[in-house]
Parts: sequence; structure tokens; C-alpha cells
Amino acid sequence: MAAVLANPIARRLLRIPPSYFVFLVLLATLWLARPNMLNLNIMGIFIRQIVPLGILVLGQLVVMRVKSIDLSGGGVILLINYFISSGSFPGASLPFFVVLALATGLAIGLFNGFMIGNRRVSAVIVTLAVSIILVGLVQYLSSGNPPGDVPKLFNDLYNTKFLSVPTPVLFWILLTAAVWLLLAQTVFGRYVASVGENAEAAHFSGVPVQRTVILAHTLAGLIAAIAALVQTGSIAVGSVRVGLDLPILAVAATILGGVVFGRGDGGVWGPFFGALCFALLFVVMTVLGIDEPGKLIAQGVIILGAAIFYGVRVRTP
Amino acid sequence: MYRSLFTILSARNTRQGLWGLPLLVALLISLWLTVQTTEFATAENLFNLVAQAMPLIIAAIGQLVVVLIGGLDLSVGSVISFTTAVLALGQPAIVLIPSVFLLAALIGLINGLAITRFNVHPIIATLSTQYIVLGITRILRPVSGGTVPEAVIGAVSGSLLGIPYPLFWGIVVILVAWKLLYGSRYGLHLFAIGGGIASGTESAARNFGVSDRRNIILAYVICSCFAAVAGVFLAGRIVSGDPNVGLLFELDTVTAVALGGTQLSGGIGSLHGTVIGALVMALLANGMNLANVSPFVQTAIKGGILLAVVGLQSRKKMGL
Repeated sequence: MAAVLANPIARRLLRIPPSYFVFLVLLATLWLARPNMLNLNIMGIFIRQIVPLGILVLGQLVVMRVKSIDLSGGGVILLINYFISSGSFPGASLPFFVVLALATGLAIGLFNGFMIGNRRVSAVIVTLAVSIILVGLVQYLSSGNPPGDVPKLFNDLYNTKFLSVPTPVLFWILLTAAVWLLLAQTVFGRYVASVGENAEAAHFSGVPVQRTVILAHTLAGLIAAIAALVQTGSIAVGSVRVGLDLPILAVAATILGGVVFGRGDGGVWGPFFGALCFALLFVVMTVLGIDEPGKLIAQGVIILGAAIFYGVRVRTP
Repeated sequence: MYRSLFTILSARNTRQGLWGLPLLVALLISLWLTVQTTEFATAENLFNLVAQAMPLIIAAIGQLVVVLIGGLDLSVGSVISFTTAVLALGQPAIVLIPSVFLLAALIGLINGLAITRFNVHPIIATLSTQYIVLGITRILRPVSGGTVPEAVIGAVSGSLLGIPYPLFWGIVVILVAWKLLYGSRYGLHLFAIGGGIASGTESAARNFGVSDRRNIILAYVICSCFAAVAGVFLAGRIVSGDPNVGLLFELDTVTAVALGGTQLSGGIGSLHGTVIGALVMALLANGMNLANVSPFVQTAIKGGILLAVVGLQSRKKMGL
């Protein structure tokens, strides 16, 4: 094993995020099983479904770069879905809901960031607890039943196309590019990289570690709010279960994409393909007739496999 | 007297952590419930309370073992559900009970190996096994049902000499854990490894000849086995297999452990604190049920308590 890992070609290959390999394997499987499904229209629909996940991944990758994690996305999505579908704001316009959603995400992200950066509480505990509180609250407010309908405009926007590419997919690509610019070109991006690499060294080099962590979490909350808006547009109704499995899928896609705690080898596009992998994976599993439990097992195996992939690599200097 | 009471209530720097305060909280809640409701201080309700608290106490002790070495096991809840599902497979108890523990040990082994040999973060490792085990559980038993062997049901209901069986379970589990943590070499090694991890000198215990890898793997195996005991107990209580019975249990165990004064960064904590922490959680649940609080609000309140008790702990590390 060690000899194989020491081989320069093997090491070069190990540098590529696993998401690209998995993506190709899944594409090949689909091509062998159902070649007729590989056309732009059908794939567009499948990829469109994964856009909320893809957007959530962008927030996840920023916090995972600073050795943190955000599992509160499920609660944020549920709460914003409730705001829009419950009819608590009769006659409100689209911009109002967008501002409300962004403010909610910002507030929750800021709270997460404060607890993690300032109070130094374990990120898993904070974000899981926040998620549980939000889910419990929404389920109580809606007495366990799905709230009402979503204003029609949300779904209409979601269904538009631009040059035969679904608008949500285009929006996702643009947002990914924006996060790429943020991480690659700005001072904040440099701070994120240095805090992830070595927080102590970053601190002594004058990097505001605490502020970077808080800002990263605030950004993740904001991005989760955007994911919530897209998710609400996609299902077009209120729900008490929507998006609950998204945070964990986002973690899986991010790790698959080559971003592990503190290490950002996969950049932004590795996790982008990680999310695409899940779009293909769900198609392949549906085609092969594997249902819900099988998907849970696949998620677990993918996270563990990708994490072991990196763990082994870290061990060999 | 005053001095020793003060030490218990404010023992911040001892290895046992701050456990006097939760005891005080437990007593205050019991007192308040006795005064406020007529149902609380009845034999029936107290019997129910013990039976309700027992799975959490057992699973929380397992979680404590892992937390002491600075880890966290998020697969506890799914192991509990999995255990009830396996027990409802319709085989005789003599086959099912050993297989339940073998499977639980195997899950713990996978966690431990992934963490120590493959350098995976404990939270990621146990999060993935949580999903894998949950998937297998849903395949075995998509919805709750099936029947649990008579022997298991008999072992949790009924009483001997006026003492309900659940209390015996508690006494046996606590005695075993006490021996493990305070009466064995392994217990001493746990505190040593955890203290090293908490203070950032991971190699400290290793330098004294304590094998950290093997002990860490064993901690995860023990945690899963305690979860399996809790699963057997619960299966006897609900008389069937249920894929959702352990839902969010892992977080309840973490709350109970943290409430009992155990530091999540490792090395500091106590068995009695954890038992008291689990009792406080059970008392709160019992009180909220008596007060007809909506189950959704109860979940939210539990999340709030988790956030509060863990938020009050101070630690060096930032992030995960």
C-alpha cells in the first residue's frame, strides 16, 4: 500500500478530487444501463433537482475550509419554506420574501458563527442543535401538517429556461463562479485558506481568525437561505420535511469534491461535481430500482470512502 | 461541610468535571414537579420515569466512554434502532442476543478503525456509519412491527421484591461501567489519552507506553455495545422493532453527558455526572409530558438545552 502511494503517478492521481472519478463512473453506468437517458433535456431536469443541494454545498465548502461544519441548513430551509408557504405574510411580494429569507439566513449564520468562533463551541453540536430547534419550532407552528401553498411566481421562475438551459442550473453555475472568485481573488479568501491550513500560524501572522470563522458561517447561512428559496420554488408547496437530508448530502458532496476540513484541494469545482455526482447517483439508483434505504447506505459509504481516501493520503507525507 | 459542598458545586479543575450543579437541578425539578402536579410523586409515575430514563442512561454511559477520549459517537441512535430491528427478526433469543452484540461491536470496530487507522475525523466516521446502519435498519424493518422474544420482554417488565426490573438493569450497567472507568487499567488509560488530546499533547499518553490506537478503537466498540444494551431494553419496552425509535438519541446522549459536567474536549468527566445528566433529561421529559407540552416543542427545548450546556463549556479548539 505504502509503495503504491509513494509512486509519483499514483500521488498525482490522488491529488484529483474523487468527485471527478465518481462522476465518470456514474456516467458510464448510466450510459450502459439507459443510453437513451443521456440527452440534454432529461439531464437538465435531473440536474435542476439537485440545484438546492449544489447551492448549499457552496456554503458548506467555505466553512469546511476553516475546519468547521454547518449542519443547520435543513432547519434554515424548513423555516424559510414555512415563512413563504404559511400565509403569515398575506399579499407579500417576491422581493419581500427574498429579503426576509436572506435576513433569516444571515441571522442564523451569524449566530452559528458567534457560537463557534467566539464561544468556541463544537460546530457539529451548535449547528445540529440550531437545526433541531428550528425544525421543532416549524413543526409546532404548523402542528405537524404541511402549511399552505407557495406563491405561484416562485415555481414559474423555477421553470424558466435560458437558451434551453434551466435557469436554476445557470444560477447555480453563476453562484459557484462567484464563490470561486471570493475564495481565489479576495483577502477574505486568503484568510479562509490560511485559517484552514493552520489557525495558530494564521493568528500569529495577523489574520483575524475569529472574524474569518464568524464571517464564513454567516456566508454559509446566507447561502443556505438562497438554497431555501430555490428549494421552495422547486417543490412549490409548504412542507414540514423538505430539505432535512440536504446538509448531510452537502457534507458528502463537499468531501467527495476534495474539500476536507482545512484542506481545499478541490477548489470550488470539485464540490460542484460532487453535487452533480449525487444528481447522477439518484438517477442511477432509480434506474436500478434501489430505494430509500439503499440511498442512505450509499450516502454513508460515499462519505466514509471519501474521508478514508483523504485520511490515507494525509498519512503518507 | 460547607467547604466540601462548595467543592462539589464548583469543581472546575477536577477530573470529574462539574457534576454537583446538575444534581441540584435534578432535585429542584423533582421538588417542583412534586409540588406542582399530583401525578408526579406516585409510584406508577416514578416507575415509568425509571423505565423511561434507563435507555438514555445506558446509552449516555457509552457516549461518555467515547467523549472521555475526546471523540463523539453520532451512530448511537441508529445502533439502537438497528438493535430493535434485529431483535424483531423472529428468531429465538439465544441466537438474537449474541448476534445483536456482535453486530454492535462490529459497528464500533468500523468507527474505531476508520478514526485511528484511516485518520477520519470521529464525527465524519460516526456520521457515515449512522447513515449506513440506518439504511440497513430500514431494509430489515421499513416500518415498526414484528415481535421481540418473550425473554426480552420479560426482562424489562415486572418486578422482584417490589423493585422493578428496569432498576436492576440500571444497577448492573452502572456497576459494570464503574468497574470499567474507575476499577480497571483501561479506565485510567481513557482519562490519560483524553487529557492528552484535550491539552493538545496527543503523544503524552503514548510516551508513557499507553497504546492510544487500541484503546480508542475499544472505546468505540464499548460505546456501540452500550447502545445495543439500550436497544435491547427499548425493544423489550415497545415489544417490536422500530426503525425510528433511536432517532436523535445520539444528541440526547451528548446532552446528558455534557449536562453531567463532562468536557466534550476529553479527559474530564464522571460516571455519576452522566447518570445525573440523563436523569435530568428524563425528569424534564416527564415534567413536560405531565404539563402537556407539544412533542415538537419538547424537541426544540432539548436542542436549546444542548446548545446551552455545550455553549457554557470552554475549550481551546475552534471549529469541529
